This record gives sequence, structure tokens and C-alpha cells, in this order.
Amino acid sequence: MGPLITYELISQDTNFLLAFIIGIGFGFVLESSGFSSSRKLAGIFYGYDAVVLKVFFTAAITAMLGLLFFSLFDWIDLDLVYVNPTYLYSAIGGGVIMGAGFIMGGYCPGTSFCGASIGKIDAFVFIFGLFIGVLLFSEGYPLWEKFFNAQFLGYPKISTVLGLSDGIFAFGVILVALGMFWVADWAEKKFPQPEY
Amino acid sequence: MINTINKINKTMNPRILLALFIIPLGLIIAAVPQDTTHPYKLNASQLLTEATSSSQFLSTDAIADMIIQNDPNLQLIDVRTPDEFLKFSLPGAINVPLPDLLSPEFSDILNQDVKMNIFYSNGTLHANEAWMITTQLGYSNNYVLQGGLNYWAETIMNPTQPSSTSPDEEIAKYDFRKGASMALGGGKTESLDNGTPDIKVPVKPIIKKATKKKVQGGC
Amino acid sequence: MAIQEQILKKTKYLNPYLGGVLLGLVLLAANFVSGRGLGASGAIKSTLVTVVNAVAPNHAENAKFYQEEAISHGEKPLKSWLVFEMMGVVVGGFLSGSLAGRLKLKVEHSPKITSKRRLAFALAGGILFGFGSQLGRGCTSGSALSGMAVISLGGFISMAAIFGTAFALAYFFRKNWI
Repeated sequence: MGPLITYELISQDTNFLLAFIIGIGFGFVLESSGFSSSRKLAGIFYGYDAVVLKVFFTAAITAMLGLLFFSLFDWIDLDLVYVNPTYLYSAIGGGVIMGAGFIMGGYCPGTSFCGASIGKIDAFVFIFGLFIGVLLFSEGYPLWEKFFNAQFLGYPKISTVLGLSDGIFAFGVILVALGMFWVADWAEKKFPQPEY
Repeated sequence: MINTINKINKTMNPRILLALFIIPLGLIIAAVPQDTTHPYKLNASQLLTEATSSSQFLSTDAIADMIIQNDPNLQLIDVRTPDEFLKFSLPGAINVPLPDLLSPEFSDILNQDVKMNIFYSNGTLHANEAWMITTQLGYSNNYVLQGGLNYWAETIMNPTQPSSTSPDEEIAKYDFRKGASMALGGGKTESLDNGTPDIKVPVKPIIKKATKKKVQGGC
Repeated sequence: MAIQEQILKKTKYLNPYLGGVLLGLVLLAANFVSGRGLGASGAIKSTLVTVVNAVAPNHAENAKFYQEEAISHGEKPLKSWLVFEMMGVVVGGFLSGSLAGRLKLKVEHSPKITSKRRLAFALAGGILFGFGSQLGRGCTSGSALSGMAVISLGGFISMAAIFGTAFALAYFFRKNWI
């Protein structure tokens, strides 16, 4: 029964090896889908390339459905899977700063490694910037520590907050995602740009 | 591979293909009630809190009182084997042998909010095991008769007369128990300890699950 | 019309929906095997902490951030799930790029701007993103994507903030992209 590491069906070293292999899969899929190109990534914000939207939401609903089905077949114990914590202020604040970084740099950390792996110099520079940014955060930590730890709401799931079951919420996300895909395909036709 | 995929691109819009595949899956998962996708309602630390609070124990006196009062909320559940149940059982008790605890025929009795389920066995061990399992499944209103039938026999059926120098409280308790014993058809009964040891039972599976830690993730 | 022709020309990338399904399966595998989702920014943090521990150990012992890191992540921050995963990402990206013939050392930028301008913005974007990812406890992979898969509220808030802000600021940086 999963997660394999929690039920001690694999050792910690095997866990790291599998992390490496999963990373290979991650990098391969990202690069094949075009996430190594900053101009494709920024495309969603101007309408000409919705690859980010399509890949992101398809991946989210696939994994969400997959986890729920695995739990249904008792292949995984969902209570033991990590759910991201909710720190209200820092989530919003961090998100806003990341959004600015995204539109300026055209990358996020995962995709920048992809870009770097195929030789994009702007990706290298972005990664260098990442280190500086993290250093800035860590050095000035006492200044924003309070903000960082404010409003800790625990590890709530959206479905619990809305009072829905996980399955119904997942179905709702599916409908919303499919709706967005229709809009995205319309936008791509309306704002065409050559592919990079 | 990219060529075949592009052929699919031309023949059928991949968006429609995705939708056709994923909407039925979504409908299935939406129709499944929350309980079945989560095997355990309580996580380990919640269960530990409940177990260490020992709030599930009810004394033999309390139960005797409820029986005499004909409390409608009382539901006694005997978790011993059917043979033991037939030899002696508490008034109004239902027999749910521990190995059959999770069988669907008893789930309606165990999983309800109305009556208090009070598990009892010869000692306290088996009854407490039943309590642990049903509590972990999220069933409410579960309790355990502290001391089980052995203690019941000691206190209710054959209460020992306190000496005349005992505090009033003890004497009052004795009078109550004497009355209960007569009301419940007590008197001298032979010891219920028929040699089945309430000791070695595989408790391992439950405890193992209780120590599972969540992985730390993020970033 | 040149642009129309280019769009009808077959794409050299994987169909995004297929890519999405594959990525979702990778994410599912990560949750099944290791009980956690994917991530990226944590690897940057681990590397930085290792460097600081090596270069300025006194500072690392006294500054709060590094102390907290030492408590939660122990002696060897580099021996972490995310670091191994990111090493795999580089290998995977390289494999895919070489199979598709996309390996090329270059600065990718819109023809309307210089590569210097692109690199300047890449640096600025990186700094902001690095800072933001620490504040937000995750980046798009770790918080938004993996958070959505486990239906986490925090993940969803992060995602909304990132994409919302990027959309809002897109107009001001349009010259860089289109």
C-alpha cells in the first residue's frame, strides 16, 4: 500500500534513487512539451501559447483523479500523503512576488533547469538569480519572519473548506479545466505568433 | 512517436478526446462517497489522544444503573464468541464476535449516532480492541465496560459486603449493587473465568498503523 | 501569410494534453512512492544552505534561518529528495532536448529586443522568483502543481497569486515577449 516509503516497502536510499528517476521523467516531459522555452511559457499571458495552462491543468486533474482512484482501490493511504500547509499572508505575498518574477524572467525554477539542460543561457542567468533571491530571503529572515509565519491555518484541503467531498471537488475542477481549455484554444487562434 | 500523435491531432481534436476520457472518470469519483476513499477517519495522533484520555471507559455501576433504568440509549455489545454469549450475557446485549466486527451485517448497529455502543468481554482487552477499531473508523458513541464481565461478577453479581467501619460511600455503593444484583437476576454464580486467557492477541496491525508518520514535503 | 503557414506546420513539441497526462502520471508516481509531490525551489535552498555552511559556518550557526534549516533538515541538506529529483530533471531535459535536436547554447529572446535586455530581465525575474518561492513555501511545481493534486488550499492560493499577478503585470512587459 502506498506511499511506499511510509509503509517502509522501500528504503530511504531507494527513495532517493526513485526521486532521481522521477526527476528524469519530470524533466523529459517538461522539455518535450516545450517548457524549456521562456517564450512559450510566457505565451499564456498574451494569449498566443496556452501550453502552460493545458499541461498544468491536465497534469493537476490527472494526478488528482489518480490519487483518488488509488485511494478507492486501497493502493494508497491519502492521510499519509503530504498536503501543503496554508500560511495565508506568505502564500499570497510570495505568490505575488513570484508572479512578477515569472512575467519578467519567463521561467520558474523547474522549467529553468529544463531550459538550462538544453543550453539556454537565459535559463542559466535565471537560476543564478534564484540563488541571489534565496540568499536575500535567508539573510534578511528576521525582517520578514513574522510575516512568514503569520496566519497558519493548518493543512486544509479546499474540499473540506467548501464542504464538498474530494470526488465532487475533483469533478468540479475537471469541468473548470475543460472550460479553460476551450477558451485557450480560441485565444491561440486569435493571437497567433510563430512557434519558437 | 510525434508523427503518430500529430496524425491523431488531425483526425480528432485531442481536447475532445481528453474530455471524453476524463469526464466519465470524474463522474465515477464524484459519485463515490468520501468514506470509501479514506480508509481511516481518525489519524494516528487523534486516536492516541482518544486512547490516552481513557474517556471510553464506563464503570460496571454506571452500566448496571442504565440497565435498571431501562435507558433506551443503551446498546450492549458482547464481543466474545457465540458459545460464551449463549452461556451468559448481559440483558439486552447483542453478540458481535470480535473477528466479525467489520462484517457488513453489523455495520448498521455499530455505525450510528443514536445509541451508545458499549463493548464488553470477559476482561477489558477484547472490548477495548473493538473500541479502537470502531473509533478509528470514525464511528461515534463507542464505550467500553471497564473490567468486563469478570469485574461485573465481582461488583454487581456478588458484591462484597464492606465492613461496618467503611465510609458511607462504600456502604451506599454496596446497597446499590445488592439491589442491582437482585434486579438483574444475580445471586451466586460461578466464576466466568473459564480458562480462556484474555491475553495474547495480535494487536500489532493497529499499532503499526498508528505510528505511520507523514512525509515532509513542500518547496 | 507567413504566420498562418507556420501555425499549420507540424509542431515539434509534444501535444500539450498528452504532455499534461504524462506529467500527471509522474506526479502520481511521486506521491505513490514518496508520499509527496514534485518541487524545485527547495533544491536551490538546500544547495545555498550547504554553501553557506561550508563558507561561513559561524554565520550559519548564528543566523536564525540557517539554524532552523539545520534543525529541520539535519546535517546534510544536499541529501534531500528534491536535490536528487532536480538532478534527474536536468538529465531528463537533456535527454529530451537531444532526442529532438534542440540542444543549442543560446539566449532565447524576442527578435524585438536585444539579448542583453533579455538576460537582464531573466536575472531580475530570477531574484524575485527566488525570494518569492521561499516566502511562499514553494514554487509553481512544488506548491501550485503538487498542491492542486492533493487539493491543498495553500497550494491553490499560491497558484492563484502567481498567475493572477503575472496576468496583471503582463501588459507592462509586453515589449519583451510580443
